[in-house]
Amino acid sequence: MKYTADCKVIEVLNLSDEQLIELSKKNVLSLSLEEMKAVQSYFKKLKRNPSDVEIETIAQTWSEHCKHKTLTGIIEYTEEREGEKTKKTYNNLLKETIFKATVELNKKWCLSVFKDNAGIIEFDLENGVAFKVETHNHPSALEPYGGSATGIGGVIRDILGVGLGAKPLANTDVFCFGDFGIEASKIPEGVHHPKRIMKGVVSGVRDYGNRMGIPTVNGAICFDDGYTANPLVYCGTMGIIPKDKIYKEVKPGDLILVVGGKTGRDGIHGATFSSVELDKESDVSAVQIGNPIIEKKVLDTMIKARDLNLYRAVTDCGAGGLSSAVGELGSKTGAVVYLDKVPLKYDGLRPWEIWISEAQERMVFAVPPEHKEEIIEVFEKENVEAVCIGEFTNEGKLTLLYNGEVVTSVDMEFLHEGVPKPVKRAVYKMKEEKIQEPVKMNSSEISISLKALLADLNVCSREWIVRQYDHEVQGQTIIKPLQGNNIEISGPGDAAVIFPYTVVKDTKRGIVLSNGLNPQYGKINPYKMAASAIEEALRNAVAVGADIRRISLLDNFCWGNPNDPEILGSLVCAAKACYKISKAFDIPFISGKDSLHNEYSIDGKKYSIPSALLISAMGVIENVENTITMPLKNDGNKIFVLGLTRNELGGSVFAKIKNICSGIVPDVYPKESKNVMEKIYQAVSENLIESCHDCSEGGIAVAVSEMAFSAGKGVKIDIDAVKTSYVLKGKEEIREEMTPAEILFSESNGRFVVEVKSDNEEKFGKIFKGTAFSEIGCVSNDKEVIFESKKNKVKIQEDFKVLLNSWRSTINW
Amino acid sequence: MFKIEILTKKGFKNPRSEHVLSDICGIGVKDVTKVEYSPLYIIDGGISSVEAETIACELLSDRITENYIVYLMQSGTERYCKVVSKSATEGDFVSVPSSDPNFSVIEVWYKKGVTDTVSESLVKAVKDLGIVKEIKVNTGHKYCLYGGVSRTILNIIATKLLANTLIQECKIR
Repeated sequence: MKYTADCKVIEVLNLSDEQLIELSKKNVLSLSLEEMKAVQSYFKKLKRNPSDVEIETIAQTWSEHCKHKTLTGIIEYTEEREGEKTKKTYNNLLKETIFKATVELNKKWCLSVFKDNAGIIEFDLENGVAFKVETHNHPSALEPYGGSATGIGGVIRDILGVGLGAKPLANTDVFCFGDFGIEASKIPEGVHHPKRIMKGVVSGVRDYGNRMGIPTVNGAICFDDGYTANPLVYCGTMGIIPKDKIYKEVKPGDLILVVGGKTGRDGIHGATFSSVELDKESDVSAVQIGNPIIEKKVLDTMIKARDLNLYRAVTDCGAGGLSSAVGELGSKTGAVVYLDKVPLKYDGLRPWEIWISEAQERMVFAVPPEHKEEIIEVFEKENVEAVCIGEFTNEGKLTLLYNGEVVTSVDMEFLHEGVPKPVKRAVYKMKEEKIQEPVKMNSSEISISLKALLADLNVCSREWIVRQYDHEVQGQTIIKPLQGNNIEISGPGDAAVIFPYTVVKDTKRGIVLSNGLNPQYGKINPYKMAASAIEEALRNAVAVGADIRRISLLDNFCWGNPNDPEILGSLVCAAKACYKISKAFDIPFISGKDSLHNEYSIDGKKYSIPSALLISAMGVIENVENTITMPLKNDGNKIFVLGLTRNELGGSVFAKIKNICSGIVPDVYPKESKNVMEKIYQAVSENLIESCHDCSEGGIAVAVSEMAFSAGKGVKIDIDAVKTSYVLKGKEEIREEMTPAEILFSESNGRFVVEVKSDNEEKFGKIFKGTAFSEIGCVSNDKEVIFESKKNKVKIQEDFKVLLNSWRSTINW
Repeated sequence: MFKIEILTKKGFKNPRSEHVLSDICGIGVKDVTKVEYSPLYIIDGGISSVEAETIACELLSDRITENYIVYLMQSGTERYCKVVSKSATEGDFVSVPSSDPNFSVIEVWYKKGVTDTVSESLVKAVKDLGIVKEIKVNTGHKYCLYGGVSRTILNIIATKLLANTLIQECKIR
């Protein structure tokens, strides 16, 4: 092998403020002036200029992607509600909201939270389950296939790199795209058409997940024009880990072993690139291409090595590459790395490129010297490349050598603690919400609206996507994403349940995965958006039989430019909601990630995406036999709505298709909802519920229709029997009679549609005594879906096949 | 240096061809009536034409549904390509003259330095086949388009549908 040693000295000591900023921009360091000055000051103390390797190392370690500077920095927040201004300074927004709730809830079954590559909760006495959700937005905008494939590949490695390594059991994926119906001529230069992005992203997740032998079991898609140039790609992985493998500790003298793929120029500046707005000049080198075959071999061999106790710590090479992985593992000790020992794809990489490359499928291990030969043998037996590139020390320094020459020597403390805390201003002014003019519609108009809702991009069938994924591989998926009587007729499941019987012998327990996301609410009220996303994730999990007392949450914030006070203000507002709702439901957050700077530039004008908070939920189900699906089961069974329907059409799908600009955004009433969710679990455990579906986008009408057409059955619903209630406007309760359309399409939280056998009605009623619920109809054998209000002389009657076709025809490529 | 092209036999469906045709219609181009898709491989190294044919036959093509053509690329350029072996019958070849205005070819290749995972797998598979020689592989895609389409439209199809110019380059003929 032949390399060109091209290590430059970067002049910083004598640069002016302007020159420092210019240097940061020119080298895609994404460091602010304050940060550049901190670098300058550190090297002034050392009385020398940094090398290019050193400056790149600092930029990666201090990147927003790795350090989460906004959420952990100082935020001076001003909130204005109904003319009253309140101010608060957050020294660490994450610690003072989301993490604070987890600390205060102090759940003993939370085994590892916010400190490793994923959150871990207890599965049983011997095992924990880990869950992580990541985003890969900018790479997916540039190269949808490669971007999303490496997104799922990266989050799988997070699970491999949690503790001493968890075995992945399931993947999740959630996407936000622009409307694919947009004319090609309206797409800005340098931007892929949303249809191309969507097809590429789905193919990328499909090819990587399927080839890894991991089922993709749960997901969601949101469409909005605001994501045309900057799509959002969330990928999640859940895995199981023995409890005695949860903790890792690097000891001085341990060898640094890099395992898996070779290093190339892939993804250079990926970590810092994520803090840069997208434009038509965005850089090719930020694109990574994945190779699932290598990662699959790494997975299989490292689990073997783990069970032989051959290493003390492991982490994945993600953003920032070796720089982040080695830096993270050695942050408390120190490390010496010989860059010329790193296996390369081709000659010609400069030392800094080797160090920060985000080439995929690499893991870094801390190996006691006495296990060196044995662990390398485990990997090499399966043709997995494993090479020692250095060792951890007790000197508290990061030292990098290339061909015998020191190219980096910086203190770990400066690297990890030296980043100045940014001070950012955040402003949130609450928008006034008011109830829309009464929505008066006749039977025919409601019927047309129902079909339009079912066909809407944010409601319609995702079958085209779901069927591309293998959701059965490993043979443990017992509640699947599509549910119905046969392959021709299916409806959308609320959540997935994995029964890990192949890895945990004799268990009856299962793991539930679900999600909640609704950026439309956030355009009006980010607090309610966050609260609703949490509640939706919980509802989805409860709807398949999860116990709300054993559910944990993950947050993924995708926001615009946090330097804009209003954008940051809405983020603070959403984080506050996370704290309050987490506490109110007694549900802890265990992990999370933020992706900021989701903005793009068209003709010099900058645009931010609609803020999106994805909440993912993971819970443990005591007995997988007590799980339920959403299609109706038997003619004659009774239909109930649990929870109250309020006049909440703000941000709803119905409001969008009817161009209703006003309306109250659905609020969350934790006391009511939690009570209902606890009782559903009890009723499911006693086998009193035949089917259950949560009410979200499209309200009761869509939920009932989906339950009916997925079963190929008819249903008769009495609209007048649905229990309605007040809405809160500030602290004021507003009570107004709702029209049939408002009842059918309101998106109030806290509601479920359930099917109960007549024989079980009494027992069911006893359980739900004291909560808001009402019997609204029954399953019929005439294949007709009927919604009727005698009081308002409204009757909607459609064959289930008509509704099914509306739902299935939008994305049917 | 050999170039190997894999063709779908007549009578068998090629889903990728159908998807591309559907996508072309989807962007409003109605003049393309048919698309034929073929994967391409350029193998550089000290292999013989017999070995190239073995790779084409044993590794790259499905004998039931596909044919292959192996070209010898003299001087390393496509201008001096000649067929050295093939499993296809004459009827399987695209024999429309390149001057026919109703026929166009778009080839898509990765740019230099971009990770090509298929080629990585192929290098390993060739060794597993018993051909122990150092080879380099480039993978590409060939789309034969039938129908009268202008160069501008071909450019749009190539760059908006078939290639991501950030990581790939396309050749239009």
